[in-house]
Amino acid sequence: MSTPDNKAPAGAPPATPPPPPPKDTFTVVFDGAPIEVPKNLNLIEAAKLAGIEIPHFCFHPRLSVVGQCRMCLVEVEGVPKIQAACTTPLKDGLRIKTTTDKVIQSRAANMEFLLINHPLDCPICDQAGECKLQDNSFGYGDQRSRYDERKRQYAGFDRTMIGPHVIADMTRCIQCTRCIRFCEEIAGTAELTFLDRGGRTLVWTHDGKPLANDWSACAADVCPVGALTTREFRFRKRVWYLRKTPSVCPGCNIGCNNSIEHGDGIVYRFLPRLNPEVNDYWLCDYGRFLSESLNLQEIEKATIREKEEVRDVLVPVAIERIAQRIRETIEGAGPKELFFLGSANLSNEENFLLRKLADHLSCGNRDVVVDKSRVRRMKSKTAWIEGDHAAANYAGARDMGLSPSDGGASLEDVLNGKLAPEVIVVADGSFSSIGDDEEKVAVLRRAKTLVVLARTTNALTRAADIVVPAASLAEKEGTFTNVQGRVQKFERAFLPKPPARPHGELLLQLAVLLGFGDRNWTPTDIRRQIQSEVEGYGQLTEKELEGGILMKKGDFVPVGGL
Amino acid sequence: MSHRRYRVESAGEPRVFPPEARARIDRILKRYPTKKAALLPVLWVAQETWGWISKEAAEEVARILELSPAHIDGVLTFYTMYNLSPVGKHLLQFCTSISCHLAGAEGLAERCKKRLGIDFEETTKDGKFTLVEVECIAGCDRAPSMMVNDTYYEPMDEKQLDSLLDRLAAES
Amino acid sequence: MASEKVLLARVGRKDSRSIETYVEDGGYKALRTVLTGGWSPEKLTDEVKKSGLRGRGGAGFPTGVKWGFVPKDTKGKPVYLLLNADESEPGTFKDRLLMEEDPHQVIEGMILSAYALKCRDAYIYIRGEFYLGARILDAAIAEAYDKGFLGENILGSGYALNLTVHRGAGAYICGEETGLIESLEGKRGQPRIKPPFPAVHGVFGSPTIVNNVETLACVVHIVNRGAEWFAKIGRNEKNTGPKLYCLSGHVVRPGVYEAPLGLPMKELLFGADFGQGMKDGRKVKAVIPGGASAAMLTAEEIEDCPLDFDGLVAKGSMLGSAAIIVMNEDTCIVDAAKNLSKFFSHESCGQCTPCREGTPWLLKVLTRIEAGEGRLEDIDLLEKISNQMANGMTICVFADAAIAPVLSSVGKFREEYRHHIDQNRCLVGPRSAVPSSAPDLRPSTFDLRPPTV
Repeated sequence: MSTPDNKAPAGAPPATPPPPPPKDTFTVVFDGAPIEVPKNLNLIEAAKLAGIEIPHFCFHPRLSVVGQCRMCLVEVEGVPKIQAACTTPLKDGLRIKTTTDKVIQSRAANMEFLLINHPLDCPICDQAGECKLQDNSFGYGDQRSRYDERKRQYAGFDRTMIGPHVIADMTRCIQCTRCIRFCEEIAGTAELTFLDRGGRTLVWTHDGKPLANDWSACAADVCPVGALTTREFRFRKRVWYLRKTPSVCPGCNIGCNNSIEHGDGIVYRFLPRLNPEVNDYWLCDYGRFLSESLNLQEIEKATIREKEEVRDVLVPVAIERIAQRIRETIEGAGPKELFFLGSANLSNEENFLLRKLADHLSCGNRDVVVDKSRVRRMKSKTAWIEGDHAAANYAGARDMGLSPSDGGASLEDVLNGKLAPEVIVVADGSFSSIGDDEEKVAVLRRAKTLVVLARTTNALTRAADIVVPAASLAEKEGTFTNVQGRVQKFERAFLPKPPARPHGELLLQLAVLLGFGDRNWTPTDIRRQIQSEVEGYGQLTEKELEGGILMKKGDFVPVGGL
Repeated sequence: MSHRRYRVESAGEPRVFPPEARARIDRILKRYPTKKAALLPVLWVAQETWGWISKEAAEEVARILELSPAHIDGVLTFYTMYNLSPVGKHLLQFCTSISCHLAGAEGLAERCKKRLGIDFEETTKDGKFTLVEVECIAGCDRAPSMMVNDTYYEPMDEKQLDSLLDRLAAES
Repeated sequence: MASEKVLLARVGRKDSRSIETYVEDGGYKALRTVLTGGWSPEKLTDEVKKSGLRGRGGAGFPTGVKWGFVPKDTKGKPVYLLLNADESEPGTFKDRLLMEEDPHQVIEGMILSAYALKCRDAYIYIRGEFYLGARILDAAIAEAYDKGFLGENILGSGYALNLTVHRGAGAYICGEETGLIESLEGKRGQPRIKPPFPAVHGVFGSPTIVNNVETLACVVHIVNRGAEWFAKIGRNEKNTGPKLYCLSGHVVRPGVYEAPLGLPMKELLFGADFGQGMKDGRKVKAVIPGGASAAMLTAEEIEDCPLDFDGLVAKGSMLGSAAIIVMNEDTCIVDAAKNLSKFFSHESCGQCTPCREGTPWLLKVLTRIEAGEGRLEDIDLLEKISNQMANGMTICVFADAAIAPVLSSVGKFREEYRHHIDQNRCLVGPRSAVPSSAPDLRPSTFDLRPPTV
């Protein structure tokens, strides 16, 4: 620390140096090695920073500390008995030992106690491979058991639904109370409780009030063993065969971060992906169980309808036909007879491309379907976030410019007949509010050429003239902008199943045929254009996307071009 | 081996506290800074009102105290004195902890079981007697010690047990 | 040799429960002395410290020191005094006697102690089974309110105290101070992690002191007759005051006896004023000196055994709740250990792994051994299980209590265990008690030797 020149006159006593600023960290010594840790951490988290794993079951970074499982016992210098690490408050100069005989024996002892009544279910238990009991037993337990008595049973509470999504098997429960605390502290619904006491303790609900809150499957997430599992995933796949791809939930505009867990091109489940700013450790049941919808590819071929006859065609043929019809219309009645409908289900890159195409064709008729949903809530680390839109990217679609321009027509104008365009291009026909609405479909049907890109069949695809198979969220990468104005990237889990292609690729093919864009553009290239052209998206670099950047909508970053 | 408490039975009808019980509850609530703290005393009022605490009674208590029904269940099943199903007119509680055990409590309980034809945690068909085993009730110097409902009978022996059962059975 | 009765002075007196007779006998004089005689709360606490009074609930912690743990600045939080009347330790029945026969002594002790703690609201947590005690206390409290010893402006001193009787509902673990606090808050009585200690953060998030019934009854006499007088009673300056002893088991005269702390064990068992010896002329085999949680002592060990806190620690056991349970030579120690294990297995709250899983395991092994289905390895197994349940493995010391009968009986009566295992029957022959029901037994199906590979 350097001190400024002392200007005291000669003969005066030297000035004392200013006291050092108070630290905002504690020095904690783990097994002889000191480390600076933030003051607000739990000791287990602090150990992790030091590269030391303290085994535990009941501790969870977002739930109250109970110190019940007794797995995290460590030696604290100056204290004769072993202490639970999770309940030992951090203080400056704390010295912890995790490798002494006492600690090693306490872990083995605790594992023995946990396993004596635990069923040997691993061969049939979904938790295998991501089970804390397996991990800690392997890491810290003894190889053999000394227990030769009957194991405790819970007839009627094993392999029993405890809620619409969660199966409970109390023979596997280790009474860590994570599930109880989740329902009480995060969900706020308090459906779960301990019943009975001692070795007969089990977790259950009040009769008639099942585990049915909006985030009930999170209780199965936090359960460290297979006592709580989800019905939807039961027996489907061993977790070590699953690959994990970071993605964003398509269920609403909160944009919870999830992980697509897949194998061989099949999505088996969504798991939450930690993001303290958005969904923290959680996913709501609705969004979580949309995973199955990613496996639904009902439209497997491009089709063209000609005079009541629908025939299969190759995708490039269908795209060429769309381009041809658009050209014909422009030369005939003009671009005002075109209508482009984007989607809150599509990424920023796809919606941007669609709007740029419309611009290129001088067509001001473009819009996005507005589908409000019931209000969904999600707990971030510090606050509750509300989403009110039925798809992930409503904000992004609007930001990309998918609104009528230069006096152009909106979707509503089309639906109430103010405009009856010749060609309607629906970039995402699987979006339900339009697709299943027979009345609205009948109005759109009045167009001479109705073009739909879609994955699933509905009234719209059945009425369309040209249908092109589009790939799912898992089969492309891109970004969504959520209700907070946060741009978040989702990655591709596996390649699309031909002939389906991502919506963006299909739109790019169409654009190139119509004289706009480069067929080699990737979503990354399009993002660079968004970054330079769209107001508020100036920070959209690949590096920034790693954390899911928050765009402050009010800040205008000067851009070139537009 | 040991009795399990995880089923709170249904009374088959909603439970509403009669006015006098409700007044007691209101007085109880004044004694505690939180509603939750009044739970054990309020559950006693419920048991005194209906003889046992049903699922419906638990829900009513939950409503009055603004607690989740699951929390009520957790408390009900933890404390052994709350009856989770209907009990007979006379709840016979035999202590079998160490001092009473040394004085022959189990033999006494067996005698009672044979005479009434029921085991622990069971009720006679005529609804007169329920038999339970309890832990130390602080009657050790007068072992073997037992309780019938809220009254201690100690020290107990075979003859006294017989005459007690005769007397209780004869009651209308 | 009989000594003056202090705590039991009024037991057996006609109408001992009424406030009229209590006042007649000098009751509530201590309260007057303190409240109208200018005693500050600090002075009262000092007196209690000087008296050497140690908690009579089981832990034996110096009461005045415990009171001193309440922070000077409670930051606006009220201080709570909770009377632990949950008396559930097997073999203990002294608090029941005090509350049923001389309730006002307990109440006066509470008011004095609450004053020392500057407490405004106090609760008596009484076990559910003490219906009679609760009714008697309710009536006595009503009398006290009526006479102005409770409520606002007690005796014109400006001090106010509200006292409420709160009934438990059948859980031994609610005698643990943080289990009691959880139960009072309307939850399952599962003990809390310490620190924070109740004196700093207790019931309703406020500083709380939990004291035993007998302990607070002593406070009345400390005020009336002085700390020095109290300190002179008892074996030495670390073990002071009159003590109630609960004698049960195979003696001629079980009961509650009062004597200066440090009464010799043999005096209690055999003294003419006390137990008057063994029933039916049998011999002593083992004695549990401090309730089920205390290590058993053999007949040799009770020679020269002062019944006080330090004296019993020196013998490898503890005074605990001063519940002396005497077992004669016809007692099967294995059966006794099994009965005690059954108690602990029933009463474990189930929160933490070693106790929840360990207590039923001990019971299962003991049941097998007692029924003649034991194996030689089981004796070592009992010790191993016990040793890995205690010493910091658990949240509270229930586990340490649960292993005391097992470790002490295995350590001191190993032969009896071996006999059960080798001979498949009891060393002392058929017992008068009907044998306990056989559990679901299963012979060992695999070798317990460690794998060679």
